[in-house]
Amino acid sequence: MIPGSSQPSGTTATQSLPKPTSDAAVADRGAAAIVSGALTTAVGAAGIAVGIAALGGSTAVGHVDWLFPLVGVDWRLTGLGGFFALLTGAVALAAGCYTVGYARAERIGRFPLAMLPLFAAALVAVPLAGSVPTFLLAWELMAATSTVLVLADHRRAAVRVAGLQYAVLTHLSYAAILVGLLLLAAVAKTADLGALTGAAASLPAGTRTVVFLACLIGFGTKAGLVPLHAWLPRAHPEAPSPVSALMSAAMVAMGCYGVLLVAVGILGPGPRWWGLLVLLVGIGSAVFGVLHASVTSDLKRLLAYSTTENMGLVMIAVGAAMVLAGSDRPDIAAIAITAALIHLCTHAAFKTLAFLAAGSVLVATGLRDLDRLGGLARPMPATTIGFGIAGLGAAGLPVGAGFVSEWLLLQSLIHYPRGADTVMALVIPLAMGAVALAIGLGVMTMVKAFGVGFLARARSPEAMRAREAPPTMLAGMGIAALACLILGLAPGLLNPAVRAAAADLPFAAVPIGAAMLRLPEGLGSIAPGLLALALVVAIALATVLVRRPTQSRPVERALWACGADTLSPRMQYTATSYAQPLQRVFDPILQPETELRVGTAPQSRYVIQQASYRSRAQDAIERRMYLPVVQGVRTLSSWVRRAHTGSVQLYLAMGGAGLLATLLITR
Amino acid sequence: MQPPAGVRGSLQLRHVDAGSCNGCEIEIASAFGPVYDAERYGARLVASPRHADALLVTGVVTRNMEQPLRNTRDAVPEPRLVIAVGDCARNCGVFARGYGVAGSVRDVIGTDVEVPGCPPSPDQIVAALRSVTGR
Repeated sequence: MIPGSSQPSGTTATQSLPKPTSDAAVADRGAAAIVSGALTTAVGAAGIAVGIAALGGSTAVGHVDWLFPLVGVDWRLTGLGGFFALLTGAVALAAGCYTVGYARAERIGRFPLAMLPLFAAALVAVPLAGSVPTFLLAWELMAATSTVLVLADHRRAAVRVAGLQYAVLTHLSYAAILVGLLLLAAVAKTADLGALTGAAASLPAGTRTVVFLACLIGFGTKAGLVPLHAWLPRAHPEAPSPVSALMSAAMVAMGCYGVLLVAVGILGPGPRWWGLLVLLVGIGSAVFGVLHASVTSDLKRLLAYSTTENMGLVMIAVGAAMVLAGSDRPDIAAIAITAALIHLCTHAAFKTLAFLAAGSVLVATGLRDLDRLGGLARPMPATTIGFGIAGLGAAGLPVGAGFVSEWLLLQSLIHYPRGADTVMALVIPLAMGAVALAIGLGVMTMVKAFGVGFLARARSPEAMRAREAPPTMLAGMGIAALACLILGLAPGLLNPAVRAAAADLPFAAVPIGAAMLRLPEGLGSIAPGLLALALVVAIALATVLVRRPTQSRPVERALWACGADTLSPRMQYTATSYAQPLQRVFDPILQPETELRVGTAPQSRYVIQQASYRSRAQDAIERRMYLPVVQGVRTLSSWVRRAHTGSVQLYLAMGGAGLLATLLITR
Repeated sequence: MQPPAGVRGSLQLRHVDAGSCNGCEIEIASAFGPVYDAERYGARLVASPRHADALLVTGVVTRNMEQPLRNTRDAVPEPRLVIAVGDCARNCGVFARGYGVAGSVRDVIGTDVEVPGCPPSPDQIVAALRSVTGR
């Protein structure tokens, strides 16, 4: 987004003004940004408070009749709902702070700013819904407000395409959820989510399966799971960055909440293939997401694909737990469900931070393309440190936020009971391999994003002119960074929250000690806090030992540039070149579109005057699965169009015939 | 002559082709091959001037290679030596007064040891290296 290209999208009068950046307009927008940010922060704080109350054991329920006609609004506090309210509230808190500075710098219009607190409120409301109509209402509010927010910068064509795709997929997913939940409520003869849990067990198996599949499709789309993920890598990058953070950290978690609530909680232990299906979807999402994240060079797109990867990891854990539900190994299921819940939390923390840092880069340089960034560590130290913390978390390395949950996930798979179950004996090693591959490539992805994007030398004049973000944006990033550090070093603090959330599911949770994390029955143990301490001591020792006074002083010389006079920024690794070997290895999956143009001299075709290389990793699933559907709808509508001749007489005749047919049938 | 590093039998060489016809390169390859085996006298080819004690320069210095040759010389830690291999490196040889020639190695960065011949035989190269390694 080039500063100055986006104009305020308030009223048409404002748009037709030749200079929209008059002082009054700027001051007005500043006030709007402050109000919107403050409201979002307040919603976040309220979400945290309600979440903590629910996790503390409060099971209050309530009914507000006047808020919505006919059915009213029901709310209830549960451990699981409180967990997700706390999570989304924390994300909204950080994003709200950040919005104050971001909206002013990026000139976000008044209408999207007004939608932001509403979106945050919808996110907090979904896990607090007490009945099916309220849940659907909050869900639709979440979908509608987020669509508006994706379209905030609607003057760019890419944003409009992303917004359209998002609107279509999010409402298809809504339709699936609607069918699933209404069928469930109709057959069980209750719309109360608490009462449904008990009633669902006596439903016929066919109904349960239909509800499960509809809900998996609906919630899976929201969670960005393959193959229904296509909206995610388009919509998240095009939305304003605090919105990206809310969508990528909190909204996709709502998809997981839906799966946990309906497929695991309400429908209870189902047939084995339910868990197996969730597990396989998780494997596909994790691998597909991380592969695309590792080859893309758009910073926000990379983070969006990483979201698909992380939701895949969560689904692997949920699937493993679902298969084990009701079996004789509840301890392994407990490890898996603990891994899923902690990973949702840590993913929310590091993804919020990463998107906020990416937003700071966008404000400072107007760039998302890693190949043109670089050299941001000196002009933007706080943002760089923030992205570093987020990257460490996303890479799943010790001390980083994502380490404990990924370790727990691998432990649950390694210690998976080896029974006579042939299918699981095949699937579990596959899942282990997928998790290992996802973590390994995740490290590479984050090394690329951090190393190419922030370190070394600036690759473009825009990156050279970068300046640090304003204090409100740094405050938002600071909140998220603090959450990342706390989750990475002392995951034991999550203990009560995870236990309360798991209590609503047919699982227990593994207690996480403050310093030492011990799995039940001595299956393994780890101490993230002690690891961090050891790392700090080792770094301090190494620093002291290296700084020992020596007799010979080092001589400073110019950097060896292979004989050339100077090193230019163009000689650096780029994101594309860093990912090239990987792109080659995974060519059949990624199916990149590469184009090499060589311009030769007119005198001889052996003298090359210029060469240009372009490579773009296309989403193969999008092309193979979505385009045929779109094409089919087009063909169908072209047939329908033949009836639309524009003749009023024909339309009247058709109306008359329709009425006649209706009367005949309903006679 | 003592090896620059001051240790007998240890000479790390960085080879620079400043504009050679590749005749000298073939002879250098033979000198370090199994038949003549210059490494048994302590001379060794390395991959970067940063690791080297001495430069082994072949060919006439072309205009394109003049500055890179100077940069490479500067990249070798001191004390350092320059060993010119072949007639071109010594006095431009058959390419003297060519349009792309900046001068001989002796003119551009100065030499400490010179090996005559067009090309010099591996014998001569090994002998010149032994005069430096001291073995």
